[in-house]
Amino acid sequence: MEILTGNELMSGATVYLDRDGRWVEELQQARIFGNEDLEAREAALAATRKTLRIVSLEVETVTLRDGIIYPDRIRERIRAEGPTAPRFDRQHLDEDGHVSI
Amino acid sequence: MYRYDEFDAAFVQERTAQFSDQVARRLTGDLNEDQFRPLRLMNGLYLQLHAYMLRIAVPYGTMNARQMRMLAHIARTYDRGYGHFTTRQNIQFNWPKLRDVPRILADLASVEMHSIQTSGNCIRNITTDQFAGAAADEIIDPRPVAEILRQWSSLHPEFSYLPRKFKIAMTGATADRAAIRFHDIGLQATTSKLGEIGWQVWVGGGLGRTPMIGKMISGFVPHEHLLAYLESILRVYNRYGRRDNKFKARIKILVHEEGLDSIRQQVEEEFAHLKGGVLTLPQEELDRITRYFAQPDYELVNQTTVDVAREKIVNPPYGRWLERNLNAHRQPGYVSVTISLKPVGGAPGDATDTQMDAIADLAERYSANELRVSHEQNIVLPHVKVTDLPAVYAALVDQGLADGNAGQITDIICCPGLDFCALANARSIPLAQELTRKFQSPERQAEIGDLKIKISGCINACGHHHVGHIGILGVEKKGTELYQITVGGDATENAAIGDILGHGFVADAVPDAIERLVDTYIARRTSADEPFITAYRRLGKEPFKEALYGNA
Ligand code: SF4
Repeated sequence: MEILTGNELMSGATVYLDRDGRWVEELQQARIFGNEDLEAREAALAATRKTLRIVSLEVETVTLRDGIIYPDRIRERIRAEGPTAPRFDRQHLDEDGHVSI
Repeated sequence: MYRYDEFDAAFVQERTAQFSDQVARRLTGDLNEDQFRPLRLMNGLYLQLHAYMLRIAVPYGTMNARQMRMLAHIARTYDRGYGHFTTRQNIQFNWPKLRDVPRILADLASVEMHSIQTSGNCIRNITTDQFAGAAADEIIDPRPVAEILRQWSSLHPEFSYLPRKFKIAMTGATADRAAIRFHDIGLQATTSKLGEIGWQVWVGGGLGRTPMIGKMISGFVPHEHLLAYLESILRVYNRYGRRDNKFKARIKILVHEEGLDSIRQQVEEEFAHLKGGVLTLPQEELDRITRYFAQPDYELVNQTTVDVAREKIVNPPYGRWLERNLNAHRQPGYVSVTISLKPVGGAPGDATDTQMDAIADLAERYSANELRVSHEQNIVLPHVKVTDLPAVYAALVDQGLADGNAGQITDIICCPGLDFCALANARSIPLAQELTRKFQSPERQAEIGDLKIKISGCINACGHHHVGHIGILGVEKKGTELYQITVGGDATENAAIGDILGHGFVADAVPDAIERLVDTYIARRTSADEPFITAYRRLGKEPFKEALYGNA
């Protein structure tokens, strides 16, 4: 299973593509692409690139545990939460930082 | 301190305006990320895991109070109230927003600072001894020459697109506190048989994936020919460096594969053409630049020493601070003070805006308006009168900056690691925090003595783990952070790369593993005067390997 993630251009905040085609801060709202969704995934990537607003666009593998999305890489778990030490809140989107495809 | 001339000022302003325009075009979509990325990197703006990161150059680690206050202002206004001082004597801000960056650069330019050449395959910020211009063991203040090298290398048309990034470090003292043997080029001041001061040139050192100790390519280059000699090295490198393979592109690989003698011969050939040409440094120019680094007006003082033994009884924390955090000064009655950015449980190298302001005040009041950033991620007040030490200490206590641990086991060098860095494999800061907690007892630290721990979150080795007496490298294996421990590294003139003694450890097991190494050292040292690194050299790997892995 995969999700799409990146950083929003203006704030640099970590964002995820949700089911409604919006780039949001919440990992748990991310749209999950299965093996059968390859075409949809590619279309979403292409549409996102067109916006020019999401940087470091990546496909990340995740596991679902009791409905909770759990990224496979530690790096992604830290990206979702913000730094662990010193503990800081993650970066947030500015008011005009919302991107949709 | 060096002051920008008209050319410098105009150039930095122009670059700021240019980048402002580029950001505006990126925000409106006139530039895409592929076009914009190299432009932002040229201005020190990276994208990390959670946000942008802006790296600001502190040329040869020297700053004045006004500049430090500006860094505090930037931390407060555009970031999250703190900055991170790095092993390249630079500072990084972890949370700037893209649209604020042009304003930050303009603010920096107003105090003659910038972030140019903090990224990319160019000659990066030249680093030096943090006690430069103050140390008692100094042959010459290296900063005037560092400034001349900065001017020569800044946007040098031939060297803006080298095969890889290129790092130069220099020291004017006999003791190497700038790790010059682990840089692409290292320069060490030396005196010729005729009593003339010049430079020993080391080449091909480096850390990273393939650590190498630099090799001496010339035993003596006079000031006037230094630029020509360095340009000759750069030309040979530029010609033969492996642009096709990132892992082989550093000059250390070229020197290693081609052999020092062959490289030396080619450099000498090049030098024969360049020597005496336009790159010759006229004495007047050197004198002109040197005047910017004139010694402060020292006072003649009666008290030239401080009774550390007495203070250790009267006020132990102060006594410990005096014992650990002072460096001998060239001027009687003065010392250089290390302000430790390594509190127990803190992130090594981090300072808050309030602390930066307080440090700026101290510099102004007690240190001839001068500050230094050390590659060990501390700050230095270079010129403090011995009689002012109680007042400086009291002010540092107020700011939580009075740890008397310089050079001890809790004075850890540590890169940002996986908590911030997009290239990381594992976290490094939590380990540093854990280790400082474990070894926080001052008595325990005093018992251990000089011991340098250095931690990197990946093989790029920004945390210099290869040259830690104990080095820790984070790797990722099957989704778990693992830490490889090395022992016996040394960044000084006794340069050595640490030995890997066996398999890695999970994070929770690292502090105990380090403690076993320390206990082995204490049990086996000839006396408390034999430092860890000396004992390791004498004893060899085996006892330490056994301490880590048992004798199975
Ligand atoms: S060593 Fe690796 S993890 Fe640490 S700052 Fe450098 S690139 Fe990042």
